[in-house]
Amino acid sequence: MTVELPSDTVSIGREIKLARRRRRLTFARRLFSHPSFLVGFVILVLFTMTALLADVLAPYEPTKINYRFILAPPSAEFWCGTDAYGRDVLSRIIYGTRVSLRIGVFVVVMTGILGTLLGTLASYVKWLDGLIMRSLDGLMAFPGVLLAIALAAALGPSEINAIIALTVTFTPRTARIVRASVIVVQGMQFIESAHAVGAGHGRIIFRYILANALSPLIVQLTFVFAVSIVAEAILSFLGVGPPPPAPSLGNIIAEGRSNIQEAWWIAVFPGLVIAVAVLGLNLMGDGLRDILDPRHSGARDKT
Amino acid sequence: MAQVKGGELIFVQGSNPPSLDGMSTSSQASRNINMNIYETLYGFSEDIKPIPILAEGVEISDDGLTYVFTLRQGVMFHNGDEMNSADVKASLERYRIVGATKNLLAPVKDIEITGDYEVTFHMEEATPTFLEAFSSPRAPAVIIPEEDGDAEAGKNSFVGTGPYKFVEYVPDSHVTIERFEDYSADTRSDGIDGFGGHKTAWLDKVTFRIIPEPGAQVAALEAGEVHILEQIPMPAARRLEDDPDIKLYENLRWAFTTFIFNLNVPPSDNVKFREAVQVALNMEAIMAISSEGLYTLNHRWQYEDTAYDPGQIGAEYYNQADAERAKALLDEAGYNGEEFVILTDPNIPQHGRAAVVIAEQLNAIGINAVINQVDWPTALNIRMQDEGWNGWTLQMGIEPYLGPVGLIATLASPARPHFVVPDAGLDALYQELIKGATVEERLETFKKIQAHLYEIFAIIKVGDSGLMHAARSNVKGFIPFRFPRVYDVWLEG
Amino acid sequence: MIRFLVYRLLSAIPVLFVVSLVTFLIMWLVPGDISAEIGGVDATPEDLAAIRERLGLDRPLLERALNWYAALLQGDLGQSYTLNRSVLGAVLERLPVTLSLAGIALVLATAMGMLLGILAAVRHNTLLDQGAMVTALVGLSIPDFWFGIVMIILFGVWLGWLPTGGFVAFSESPVDWARSMTLPAFTLAITQMGVIARMTRSAMLDVLSQDYIRTARAKGMRARAVIFRHGLRNAMIPIITVVGVLSGVLLSGAVVIETVFSLPGVGRLIIGAIQRRDFPIIQGGLLITACVFVFVNILVDIAYAWFDPRGRDDS
Repeated sequence: MTVELPSDTVSIGREIKLARRRRRLTFARRLFSHPSFLVGFVILVLFTMTALLADVLAPYEPTKINYRFILAPPSAEFWCGTDAYGRDVLSRIIYGTRVSLRIGVFVVVMTGILGTLLGTLASYVKWLDGLIMRSLDGLMAFPGVLLAIALAAALGPSEINAIIALTVTFTPRTARIVRASVIVVQGMQFIESAHAVGAGHGRIIFRYILANALSPLIVQLTFVFAVSIVAEAILSFLGVGPPPPAPSLGNIIAEGRSNIQEAWWIAVFPGLVIAVAVLGLNLMGDGLRDILDPRHSGARDKT
Repeated sequence: MAQVKGGELIFVQGSNPPSLDGMSTSSQASRNINMNIYETLYGFSEDIKPIPILAEGVEISDDGLTYVFTLRQGVMFHNGDEMNSADVKASLERYRIVGATKNLLAPVKDIEITGDYEVTFHMEEATPTFLEAFSSPRAPAVIIPEEDGDAEAGKNSFVGTGPYKFVEYVPDSHVTIERFEDYSADTRSDGIDGFGGHKTAWLDKVTFRIIPEPGAQVAALEAGEVHILEQIPMPAARRLEDDPDIKLYENLRWAFTTFIFNLNVPPSDNVKFREAVQVALNMEAIMAISSEGLYTLNHRWQYEDTAYDPGQIGAEYYNQADAERAKALLDEAGYNGEEFVILTDPNIPQHGRAAVVIAEQLNAIGINAVINQVDWPTALNIRMQDEGWNGWTLQMGIEPYLGPVGLIATLASPARPHFVVPDAGLDALYQELIKGATVEERLETFKKIQAHLYEIFAIIKVGDSGLMHAARSNVKGFIPFRFPRVYDVWLEG
Repeated sequence: MIRFLVYRLLSAIPVLFVVSLVTFLIMWLVPGDISAEIGGVDATPEDLAAIRERLGLDRPLLERALNWYAALLQGDLGQSYTLNRSVLGAVLERLPVTLSLAGIALVLATAMGMLLGILAAVRHNTLLDQGAMVTALVGLSIPDFWFGIVMIILFGVWLGWLPTGGFVAFSESPVDWARSMTLPAFTLAITQMGVIARMTRSAMLDVLSQDYIRTARAKGMRARAVIFRHGLRNAMIPIITVVGVLSGVLLSGAVVIETVFSLPGVGRLIIGAIQRRDFPIIQGGLLITACVFVFVNILVDIAYAWFDPRGRDDS
């Protein structure tokens, strides 16, 4: 493409850039004026800050054992009481949000990458479509929790293995969503024009198709984030989550559940934290969907 | 105390019995049920002495090479047949193949039927501790009908001679047994005595319900849906202490909490390092947390004041929490921060809890202790390997109860289950122990073993941990033991 | 319709094949085996080797896999190592529990969800709408196993209204069956009704804004008749899709709820098998649950096709 550009191209380019920035600004403004997105966003920010500032916020060492204070109820000294090791539950919850955040972020990133890769491949390379989609169908035919449990048990309980197990469990649906939206975008006029102008495959995929398939993906990923936090708790509950002594929201509940009547604070507080975090993510996802994809607001698949 | 006949008792345990074939398993979850269905020729009395149960008695020759067992007559199996010597021989021959501790019959050369109600064991060599081993309830040498003699492990018809007979097993839900109306009670004694004695089935039916969640177990007991919990978490026990509907039963001498070293890899291959761990540990803190507070501090490798109590030997190393001495020993061992991997599992809660406390205490004296918590089958797999772990937490339940032979057998040659590398000194002492002709001789040997264990520091005794049972207060006659004896228990009102 | 059905059934075969491959992969990865469970903690290496040999665990995985497929073709899923019954028997015995639980939860979730959704749509942009949607969202966000524990304490222990766990067969006592199912099904339904409520609301809003509804209203049809005769019927299609997805989710959720409420269902069977390394149960159990899942999806497709004939060719 060696066409001589008219002299005012530069200024046109600047115009386009400005327009894009304006669009981005209005997008952000619309997002933050959306009440559920805003509430969800605030919750997520608080959650993230708690995790990042755990060293500062936690009143005690989360693994400090003190057998003289076993199962102490909430008090001025221990706001959320102590657990069966005499450890401060509040400090453990604060540090536990780190594990949830790490698991959530890594699962989202890996699911996003793998899902996009597989979904795009399936929609773009015809002979791979059947193979990829049937394999994903196979993975989706497992009850999700069972697959995650089996994988976590097979790989051994650790944070990394929990991330792997959850990624494998959540990738299929994400890939499907990407594939479906890519197929829709592929059929659209501007792609055909791009082809006609001679844009390369890579450019078309990244510049046009993925950019347009992004909104359903983002919405799905906020949901994967939420489910990952719950799933970590379920894995811990069944003894295949991140192992002690490092706290995770799930293993705090798991350790507290046999004493739920005598020491309700151990299991109840981290359960509430999970519920609030997941609520925040769901609210954000709703807001994102309303704005990115107004046609489909309201409904969401669970993996 | 007027016993009441009838009713259904619901007993709760946490896990499925791996097998209802009495001889083929050593699991506690199976023993709970099986010992109400099956019986052995000999078993332990309340004070852990071998007593005849299905046997009338035994004549041991002076050279210790022949054992003539006479059988009680008129004992009926649940299938309606009478027990005779052919059944006994068939059962024991099967035990040699599928018995979970079949080695206990290794000293027996052959079993001969010498009468309708008499079998004779011909021994390879004199083994003074044979009758004790033969009475062991770990994987009991139960007597089953001759027809089941060829059945594969787990494939027998679950027919025994006990006061209750098997009805049904729905895994993850329940096992049901019901009163065996033709039970031939042992009239030689007045009441129950350990695994034997005069047993009476008052209840029509007993259901062993499988409830995995301890919290749900307690909830079911409080709601009156079930009658007895095999184990109640201690915090719940404390809460229900004064509840008139609930009665608690302490079973203080239930298990040893132990910590086993891998002698094959650094840093735990160094005896000075292991000694440092021994003196560093605060056993009181470990036991308080791992047992939830139901424990006895005890450095002995036997329960205190039992026949083989070795006294104060080793006490000077126990519960020291001596960081200075430990650090000096670490220096002596040349320890410089190698990783010390503590293997544990969450399935037996005491294991995981002990590991967490041990790791914290070791980190405090500068040992780079890390916990590798995996599920139980994985833990059992890893600890059999030469490498990949340094220490392992283990609750020893039935072994300490069996006395010194049963306990030390798991530590002596050949290598494993517990020691990856056997210790020659301990092996020699073990041989001396099983050859000891009298209790006094064996006690002297056991004292040497106790001293030796505190020289090699290959396994650490953390403490004695108890088990708390809980029952509805209308359950009468329940006496805590190594398994729930649901005979001689009745429901009031 | 027949062709469509045959096609759907045939397309299940590769899916199930993938399921079986993944199960073998898991078993290849998983450390340890059942020998220690059977032999006990004191078993010597020789004892363990003997158990492995008896169960064929000493054979290479490929050989075991081929044997398993060969047996499967003859309809034999093998024997459990410890439960003293066949895999098929063990699963079939449990299926009623899991299906009762998932089924009742599905009905409850759909009923409660649709009610919330319709209320919200009809009273669009009112406090009622917002209240219903917040309820739905909170339900969605609660971890179900945790909620189950709280329910046991509340209704089982403190109030004593319902059993704390366990299962009673319908054939044994329908009343006790219903009582034993109430808490677990309700727990599961609460966390799922949100999905349906939200779907119903948006589908209803969509439909209610259509021209023909406005026409019907303008012609003076009563509001309730409009909602039910026209609105709901047309909103059914997206709702069915969600119900279809949910049935899978509920089967999955049942796994955890079964553990919390001590119900002897398929999920607990498989989790127990994973924990014990009872390989035949893991293989067979996962294959059968996958079959159920695929079958439910075919049913959903049929329902879909029934409500919307255009969907039939859309595979």
